[in-house]
Amino acid sequence: MEPLIHVRDLCKDYRLTDRREGVRGGLLDLLSPRRRDLRAVDRVSFDIQPGEMVGYIGANGAGKSTTIKMLTGILTPSSGEVTVGGMVPWRQRQQYTRHIGVVFGQRTQLWWDLAVVESFRLLKKIYEVDDATYDRQMKLLDDLLDIGKLLGQPVRKLSLGQRMRCDLAAALLHRPRVLFLDEPTIGLDVVAKENIRGFLRGVQEREGVTVILTTHDLGDIEQLCRRVIIIDQGRVHFDGELSELRRRVGQTVRLSVDLRDPAASADLAAVTVGLPVNWDDETGLRHVARFNRAEVRAADVIRLVVNDRPVQDLHLAEQPIEEVVREIYRQAAANNTDSADDTGTGAAK
Amino acid sequence: MEEVTPLQDVMRQDDATRFAFRDDRTRAARLAWQARIFGAYFVQFLKMRLAYRVDFIIDTLAVLFSLVIQLAVLSVMFSKVRALDGWTYPQVLFIYGFSLVPLGLFNLISVNLYGFADEYLIGGRFDRVLLRPVGSLAQVIFESFNVSGLSEIALGLAIMASAGLKLGAHFGVTDALALLFLAPGAALVYLGVFLGITTVSFWVEDKMGLAPPVYNLIRFSRYPITIYSLPVRLFLTFALPFAWVAFYPAAWFVGGERFSKVALLTPLVGVLVFGGAALLWRRGVKNYVSTGS
Repeated sequence: MEPLIHVRDLCKDYRLTDRREGVRGGLLDLLSPRRRDLRAVDRVSFDIQPGEMVGYIGANGAGKSTTIKMLTGILTPSSGEVTVGGMVPWRQRQQYTRHIGVVFGQRTQLWWDLAVVESFRLLKKIYEVDDATYDRQMKLLDDLLDIGKLLGQPVRKLSLGQRMRCDLAAALLHRPRVLFLDEPTIGLDVVAKENIRGFLRGVQEREGVTVILTTHDLGDIEQLCRRVIIIDQGRVHFDGELSELRRRVGQTVRLSVDLRDPAASADLAAVTVGLPVNWDDETGLRHVARFNRAEVRAADVIRLVVNDRPVQDLHLAEQPIEEVVREIYRQAAANNTDSADDTGTGAAK
Repeated sequence: MEEVTPLQDVMRQDDATRFAFRDDRTRAARLAWQARIFGAYFVQFLKMRLAYRVDFIIDTLAVLFSLVIQLAVLSVMFSKVRALDGWTYPQVLFIYGFSLVPLGLFNLISVNLYGFADEYLIGGRFDRVLLRPVGSLAQVIFESFNVSGLSEIALGLAIMASAGLKLGAHFGVTDALALLFLAPGAALVYLGVFLGITTVSFWVEDKMGLAPPVYNLIRFSRYPITIYSLPVRLFLTFALPFAWVAFYPAAWFVGGERFSKVALLTPLVGVLVFGGAALLWRRGVKNYVSTGS
């Protein structure tokens, strides 16, 4: 199938002006500004199929929002191409925006002083949603988001969680084909976060909408996305399934063992000798073993320990996704330093 | 067994058409639709204002009060003036009255241009504007209104009527039609000039400092241009075309043969100035750098 979203060698440079200090500096800035280009997005390429839900993640300033703003037609790229459903977002902006929904977690798109339902009615006019579709969408969105009670209230009186529910509903009113979510759970408490995630799963199943989601909260990704794209310093460092990400980083598991009798970690290391298992250096009842699932089967480690001595309890845990992503960042940073060194020696020669 | 809701049925049917993004409407249909949207924006604005009822009442009273004050100031001012470089007092008064009509039209829709750099570019509201399937300039202009512009229009019409009486002129249907072309044409000149100034903030980060001094220059446009020296006349006609916001169009009514042809160029000048500013705006949008996050 042809991809719905097609991104090739997308770049965005920002022109920065460095300010000098003092009055003299101010005058100099006026006469000859010190300008330099910052590449915020650097040759980013990916394809997204209809119906996918993709997590687009990166640290602050990694280029996430800049990418999303080019995909939604807000920013014009410095170079590279983007087509979404056959349209170029920034060139056919007015027509294009009829087919997408966008939610920025930090900002509402509703009219601050108006009742929620007034905003919805205006959006209905702007997107030319016919009455039948509007009623059906409102019913669906109320089922999923429980916004019926909020409709009469002015937006400024809503809590953050309530406002986010209304913003999501507003973005889906015209049944967009693609939904862009920039930090949809930012600032929300655990319960509100869970509601939003449940809603997104529901709407994706029922509407078949394609979703791109940027987030800091890797819980969002783990619960919603099969595929993740990790970006750092404007470049894509990983693009694939979440399971593949774990495999690539080493897929470390952590086995904690509660013994009935105290022992030293060296004793346990002796039990698993021959297997690539690391025991944390501890003495007492609780011990922790770390190993790579691709190299060692957890069952083997457990059998060896249990056969050797009495065990009270066992607990096996995956490496948290945060650690996995941090590992990707670390690798990315190492690569960047390598390439910087290369150019350094090249210049010396 | 999977439950198939009616919605999913609809989905399957229109999925093929939904996949290709396109817009089959004619240009006229698009324009009609845009006009409806801006009507809806205006209604929304009124609702928003009415939400703060006390504010609305105070604003209305303030507008009425300022009308009375302006009338008083005018009568004092013009009681001193008898004639000005061959222009009689009623003629000068008429030009002044006319100047208020396009100014009122312009003030009615231009409030958002003043705060554009702060609120839209730095405050980040422009992102949202660009996410809607409506022209960005039109959205910014129609998102807020300054209702006191309406009182300026009323005041201007009243002054023109009283000056017309003093002149003993008979205004007919042609004059009414001319007003319908000349006043909006002159308002476009205002809009074009200030839009051009606003658009600069797409490239220059600093707050817009140019608008207030330029706004103050408007007062020069309220007098017959023949009282100024040639360089000033040329400047007001070609460089900063404020001669077109009051004197030239008003001269169609009171200027006699000498200016009647020139006056009719006003709508054309309006379209040119505004068109140039709108092109600049389009380039600005391409150059738009959104705020972080």
